[in-house]
Amino acid sequence: MSYLEALRGALGEANVLEEPVELHLFSKDASLLRGQANVVVFPQDADQVSEVVKIAEAHKVPIVARGAGTGLTAGASPTEGGIVVVTTAIDSIEIDLENRSAWVGAGVINLDLSAAAAPHGLHFAPDPSSQSACTIGGNVANNSGGPHCLAEGSTTSHVLGLEVVLAGGEIVRLGGNAPDPIGLDLKGLIVGSEGTLGIVTKALVRLLPLDPDVRTMLLAFPTVESAATTVSQVISAGMVPAALELMDQRMVQAVENWLQAGLPVDAAAVLLAEVVGETEGVEAEAEIIADLGRANGATSVEVARDETHRATLWKGRKSAFGAIAQLAPDYYLHDAVVPRTRLVETMSAVYEIADRYDLTMLNVFHAGDGNLHPLVAFDASDPETNRKVHEAGDEIVAICLKNGGALSGEHGIGIEKRDMMRTTFTELDLDAQARLKEAVDPSGVFNPSKVLPAGSRCFDFGGVRRKELPEGVWV
Amino acid sequence: MKSLPSDLARLATEPDTLAPESAEDVSSILRHASKEGLRVQVRGGGTRSGFGAPPTPDLVMSMENLTAVEAYEPDDLTLVVQAGARVDDVESTLIEHNQTAVLPERPGDSTVGGVIASGASSFKRGRLFGTRERLLEATVVTGDGRVVRGGGRVVKNVTGYDLPRLMVGAFGSLGVIVSVCLKLWPAPPDRATVTVDSPEAAAEVARPLAVLQDNESTRVYVWGTAAEIEAQTAKLGGGAEAGHHWPAGPVDRFGWSLRVPPANLTGAIERLPTEWRYVALHGVGEIRAASPRIDGAADLRSWAEDEGGRLVVTDSPEGGLDGFDPWGRPPPGIEFQKRLIAEFDPARVINPGRLPGGL
Ligand SMILES: Cc1cc2nc3c(=O)[nH]c(=O)nc-3n(C[C@H](O)[C@H](O)[C@H](O)COP(=O)(O)OP(=O)(O)OC[C@H]3O[C@@H](n4cnc5c(N)ncnc54)[C@H](O)[C@@H]3O)c2cc1C
Repeated sequence: MSYLEALRGALGEANVLEEPVELHLFSKDASLLRGQANVVVFPQDADQVSEVVKIAEAHKVPIVARGAGTGLTAGASPTEGGIVVVTTAIDSIEIDLENRSAWVGAGVINLDLSAAAAPHGLHFAPDPSSQSACTIGGNVANNSGGPHCLAEGSTTSHVLGLEVVLAGGEIVRLGGNAPDPIGLDLKGLIVGSEGTLGIVTKALVRLLPLDPDVRTMLLAFPTVESAATTVSQVISAGMVPAALELMDQRMVQAVENWLQAGLPVDAAAVLLAEVVGETEGVEAEAEIIADLGRANGATSVEVARDETHRATLWKGRKSAFGAIAQLAPDYYLHDAVVPRTRLVETMSAVYEIADRYDLTMLNVFHAGDGNLHPLVAFDASDPETNRKVHEAGDEIVAICLKNGGALSGEHGIGIEKRDMMRTTFTELDLDAQARLKEAVDPSGVFNPSKVLPAGSRCFDFGGVRRKELPEGVWV
Repeated sequence: MKSLPSDLARLATEPDTLAPESAEDVSSILRHASKEGLRVQVRGGGTRSGFGAPPTPDLVMSMENLTAVEAYEPDDLTLVVQAGARVDDVESTLIEHNQTAVLPERPGDSTVGGVIASGASSFKRGRLFGTRERLLEATVVTGDGRVVRGGGRVVKNVTGYDLPRLMVGAFGSLGVIVSVCLKLWPAPPDRATVTVDSPEAAAEVARPLAVLQDNESTRVYVWGTAAEIEAQTAKLGGGAEAGHHWPAGPVDRFGWSLRVPPANLTGAIERLPTEWRYVALHGVGEIRAASPRIDGAADLRSWAEDEGGRLVVTDSPEGGLDGFDPWGRPPPGIEFQKRLIAEFDPARVINPGRLPGGL
């Protein structure tokens, strides 16, 4: 029996797509790289995912998990072909009010979870800007962040348990509502592993109470430098606001053109700051941020009057990537992170690189975390521009790493950033990562060729296994 | 024990105890141990040596000479510190800048590496989350002597697998932690401890730092600006003492960590045998307890495990367990855990057998 027949038998024909146009649709995510799916399946639960994994292993076919396909690093692109497993049918939400948590199907959309929790005065903290489309499974796989992860941490801090299908089709439930599961933290390893270790079918997530009070404010600055300086100073003033987001003038203008959110288009940069908590603390913190902003030359400080006004300010921020479409057909962005103390100098260097390559660059980013998103709008059909965009991207990453940074803050490595892993890790570091992969996915069917560059395993060459090497030869 | 190679002999502080001074020393010791099949116990402050299956080492690796602060960036809220640094010393340095690493409040002699390896957390975990959320980067030496680094010195990072997180609660089974980068938190100088009538009363304030109940009373811990504290104290019905008064963990012949879903915490307290002393963390589901006898533990464990929790032995007198497993039922995915350990510590030399399931 072919694996296609086996899949039809296990899931039913209606849940197996094989038409070329369907395969084409599911062969790319929101990055620029396209793969080629051999088949697309829609399992309904963990048991069906387990069947799919067994079939993939038996026929040695790659298996690529996919949520909404909003990933920006080709993580969900089937670049080695194989079975694309779409999780959207696994979409239950079971809220546990007493434990302030919820078991959530991998295919549930991030915003739907928060909408389901809101009537109970609860919310799921990670709020990627793509939250109206991306899935919890994708958030878990990429350890996604979002504006509000500054104070609350990324997805991994909010995952208490996982139902996951591992090698051999084994379904395991890791973690739970009780703290500190015993033994090695497999759950923590799987979060952020980009579908390379197994397929998450459900996640037990932490729900936080809605905050009693909030102040959202927009500060306009005459230079990007003065905005970035303010960010560094807010952090060093001894507070961690709920969010600190920076947008430069090009970005503000693009958003304004599209949405008319009332953003100040003449400012060189705007800072969106939010503080939450008890009223007394919120007022004091908002005051400090406003004062620091003014001391750095802020030309206006606008405090959201009410919830509608606040929602408008946030909509401007969260729609930023969508606004790029007016400028050019494609965009390419990095999401390197730098220490907050190096923000100002890094931003200057990033602008200098874009100017030197004569590229249209816009910036909208999680400044409070030092998580940059320099974004180049361009036309990918021109090979010369394509080359320039990628060269400039490499330089930007290099400068971030030189300033003590990391390759990716929240989008993941996928294929887009895979070969840059060598610029930040030693051979032994990568070998250790390759061992983690091998231990959990010995047959290598889960999302092959992602995250780790080829040859990461130090003893990959010539099929020589570690155990056969003479003693003492370990480097 | 056979005599040590000369490059290791210089590290001996006592017979069978070596105190490495660098990651390279740790590597030499572990390569030697892997070659000779020696069991190595890693010793930080020694405060948790009763945790997990009792060690029977051939060699003790003392972290006492790896205590340096390698980098402290107050303006970035990050700290890079060697694993042997005492928690107390680290927090004293940080508090001068009104910052904290949110490590356990009454650490005794415990070290940063020991806290991470045993997975211990601060009382403030209900608000600021546990130790596993503090770790940004880790440099570790695997059982076969490879020095590897994972993570990075920035507050947000998804570059590769989360190796640092895997070290939390791993009791060194994958490698010896040499240094870590921690995410810090501002520590407002204004603080108060408010005694309340019942844990339910704490619900009046949004996300307090901690709500602790022990055999005597229930207390809510808050910090912030003076105005915030005043407002929160009023909501809690007054009776605040200035500052944070953290309970010492109860100590007796047996030490316990009871972990249950937060909703089961009150039920768990009611089930504790009367002679047990305890500190319970509301909103978290953790109870730290101590007892003179083991009686009642088996029933408590079986109830906890049925509720999705655990009863773990954190301390016991020699021979006192009498076959009572320190961890209880093995965790799920044990085969995967075994394979991970085999990749990192193939000769199984670091703290062998100390993890659940005899790993
Ligand atoms: C406009 C826009 C804004 C964005 N803003 C943010 C942001 O603010 N913060 C941020 O972090 N990201 C952001 N992203 C990136 C992206 O939305 C996130 O990475 C998101 O979590 C991906 O979810 P998804 O469901 O679309 O996953 P997909 O793209 O379908 O998949 C992403 C990766 O996860 C794997 N995967 C998916 N589901 C599973 C599963 N069930 N089990 C195992 N592996 C799985 C895939 O194989 C792939 O490697 C943005 C993207 C866009 C297009």
